[in-house]
Amino acid sequence: MYEWPENMQLMRNVVRDFIEKEIVPNLWDLEHGDLPPYDILRKMLKTFGIDSMSRERFRRSIEREEAAARGEVDEERSAGDEGESGIGRDGVAMGMIPIVELSRWCPGMVTAMGVSMGLTGSAIMSKGTLEQKKRWAEEILTLEKVGAWAITEPDSGSDAFGAMKATARRDGDEFVLNGNKTFITNGPYADTIVFICKLDEGNPPDERRVVTFVLDSGMPGLEQSKPMAKMGLHSSPTGELFLNDVRCGVDRLLGGETSLTQTRAAQKEGAKSTFTMERSGVAAMALGIIEQCLQKSLEYAKERKAWGRPIGEYQLIQLKLAKMEVARLNVENLVFRYIEMAMDGRDLSLGEASAMKLYSAQAAVEVAMEAVQLFGGNGYMAEYQVEQLARDSKILQIYGGTDEMQVQHIARDLLSR
Amino acid sequence: MNILVCVKQIPDPAGPQELNNDNTLKREGKLILDESDSYGVEIALQLRDTAGEGEVTLISMSPGEPSGLRTALAMGADKAIHVVDDTLHGADALSTAKVLAAAVQRAGDYTLVIAATESTDGYTGTVPAQLAEILGLPSVTFAKSIRVEGGKVHVDRQTEAGYDVVEADVPAVVTVTAGVVEPRYPSFKGIMAAKKKPLETLAVSDLGLDLSSWGQNIVSVEDAPSRAAGEKIEDDGEAYLKIVEFLEEQKVI
Ligand SMILES: Cc1cc2nc3c(=O)[nH]c(=O)nc-3n(C[C@H](O)[C@H](O)[C@H](O)COP(=O)(O)OP(=O)(O)OC[C@H]3O[C@@H](n4cnc5c(N)ncnc54)[C@H](O)[C@@H]3O)c2cc1C
Ligand SMILES: Cc1cc2nc3c(=O)[nH]c(=O)nc-3n(C[C@H](O)[C@H](O)[C@H](O)COP(=O)(O)OP(=O)(O)OC[C@H]3O[C@@H](n4cnc5c(N)ncnc54)[C@H](O)[C@@H]3O)c2cc1C
Repeated sequence: MYEWPENMQLMRNVVRDFIEKEIVPNLWDLEHGDLPPYDILRKMLKTFGIDSMSRERFRRSIEREEAAARGEVDEERSAGDEGESGIGRDGVAMGMIPIVELSRWCPGMVTAMGVSMGLTGSAIMSKGTLEQKKRWAEEILTLEKVGAWAITEPDSGSDAFGAMKATARRDGDEFVLNGNKTFITNGPYADTIVFICKLDEGNPPDERRVVTFVLDSGMPGLEQSKPMAKMGLHSSPTGELFLNDVRCGVDRLLGGETSLTQTRAAQKEGAKSTFTMERSGVAAMALGIIEQCLQKSLEYAKERKAWGRPIGEYQLIQLKLAKMEVARLNVENLVFRYIEMAMDGRDLSLGEASAMKLYSAQAAVEVAMEAVQLFGGNGYMAEYQVEQLARDSKILQIYGGTDEMQVQHIARDLLSR
Repeated sequence: MNILVCVKQIPDPAGPQELNNDNTLKREGKLILDESDSYGVEIALQLRDTAGEGEVTLISMSPGEPSGLRTALAMGADKAIHVVDDTLHGADALSTAKVLAAAVQRAGDYTLVIAATESTDGYTGTVPAQLAEILGLPSVTFAKSIRVEGGKVHVDRQTEAGYDVVEADVPAVVTVTAGVVEPRYPSFKGIMAAKKKPLETLAVSDLGLDLSSWGQNIVSVEDAPSRAAGEKIEDDGEAYLKIVEFLEEQKVI
């Protein structure tokens, strides 16, 4: 695959059209004001039928699971459904289109959507019991409800599990949860929160088992902060969560009692698939940012004059444009490679996914910063959108594992061969 | 209810427009669905869905790939007929109407033929009336809404003052004014499904048409005269009086 197939190009065009009509006119309120992104995102999902596709996929997967629980092997259903519409095979590519296109304008909206429908939804779908999926996942996967996924704490980020302080303690049939989480995407507005903490059975912290609970907004003892002030990514509200003796039944323990006997290896496997999803999403975001910066820079280089000539005629500007194009090609190729592998039913290794994220994030930051430079004083002004993209792009090197953590994962993978 | 919609595939109006040596428009790049026709497609889909049965069939004549037709199929049209033939290069409006009429006659039973009032690129606004004449059908123009009931089509026909209520026997050719409905976006599922919808590609010989004269020969093309310089009025605080005076002269106020 060296370009988007024709039907994907059509998707791209209609999504672009939607963004120009519905998002660009609200860009100031989304990125410099405090308009939350959710209603516009819901409208987008509905317009393109993405919500109903998610719902159908969810219902089919529940039916399959129920059939399996009854001991029926439902081969027909599992083979036929995805193939027939072509959505199974093309699903990954299709999912990338809105990410790339939204990232040209609002990488924050992608973050808000991805954390809710992606991270939170798939945490419940991959680890939850049938009951839990039915109770929470459908509304999260369609963005009817906003989801948050909370692991980071004030004193633990990169070393999320090692230094984690949040705890769950047993009290009769219930669990009592305590702890603070920070930098939580959608935290201020989340209806449903996947909360990761350690089970305190009186043992030392580093021997405690990691457990996950599903919380609903408004539970006694749960406080969701206002959005935090931050450098960029303003269309993605980020907040803190404070838990003070929040009481949960075992129905909220993700995976139920059996999750308490899961081996560490199985837990790690789950974390790995989350990482891979997150990291490929970052590459698609980087692609959108790079495409937009390159396009805007090209237009500006042709039209802005200095010493009587368009700045695009100066070699130092040409070098910036050429490097942007190289970055665009490379990141696009990584995204295409990921899509092709998914079509062949192959997963990226954690090392590959990390390499993809590391390179794409750095490329996006470099391109966006160079775009600011190319625009000169205008580049520093909010009116010229590269200013926003330069601030927004920086997040790609921090969340979903910092650059430094990606290096660690790549090196570990290489050295273990 | 079966509905035929004539949709034109045109070069993207946002891109550069260039002429060939024979002064016809270059149609080499990717063609898109003329926005004017998206309203007709939307109305047809709504009529079909209200009726609860029938099909929407697209008919188009253009060189190249059916990329614009795919957009309309993705919106929900059921199938398409695409007439592609090098001999049609330079076809004028009447020839276009003849070709479309021949395609209509192959399309089976239908209640309505819908077209736009005028296309975005050629905008002669003459093809649909010619089509109706060739087919021997009533022609209703400038529709802002369409309803089919009791063997008749009822149309609110836009006029400068408001609208006329018009009815005609079916089948009929009805043209739709731009902007009267909000054309739907194709859903992702619709786009995936469009790939598999029937799309028939026909040459002029398939239509059994006589090719003897395609009529039009464009002798030359001139730039539109640039606008004459306007009158400049310095504002000394009373310039508005001059403007009022000017508008009165023009009988605008
Ligand atoms: C906008 C935003 C949204 C976020 N959304 C979420 C969310 O939804 N849910 C969630 O749980 N978290 C979220 N996070 C948290 C994010 O994942 C963490 O900030 C990130 O993992 C880094 O952790 P930290 O901030 O604690 O940095 P630290 O771990 O304190 O790192 C500080 C610096 O030290 C470096 N470093 C750390 N360890 C090493 C080492 N061994 N070798 C070399 N260098 C090292 C790091 O790379 C970094 O440069 C979000 C963060 C932001 C900014
Ligand atoms: C300078 C110039 C260059 C030209 N170059 C070309 C050329 O390269 N190739 C060429 O074919 N013609 C060319 N023409 C002819 C011109 O495009 C014709 O007028 C055209 O064939 C039909 O007329 P229209 O676009 O004005 O249709 P209108 O009468 O304005 O169209 C009204 C509606 O009729 C329907 N309709 C019209 N045409 C079609 C169609 N082809 N398929 C399906 N539905 C249709 C649509 O619903 C459309 O919205 C040229 C004309 C000029 C003046």
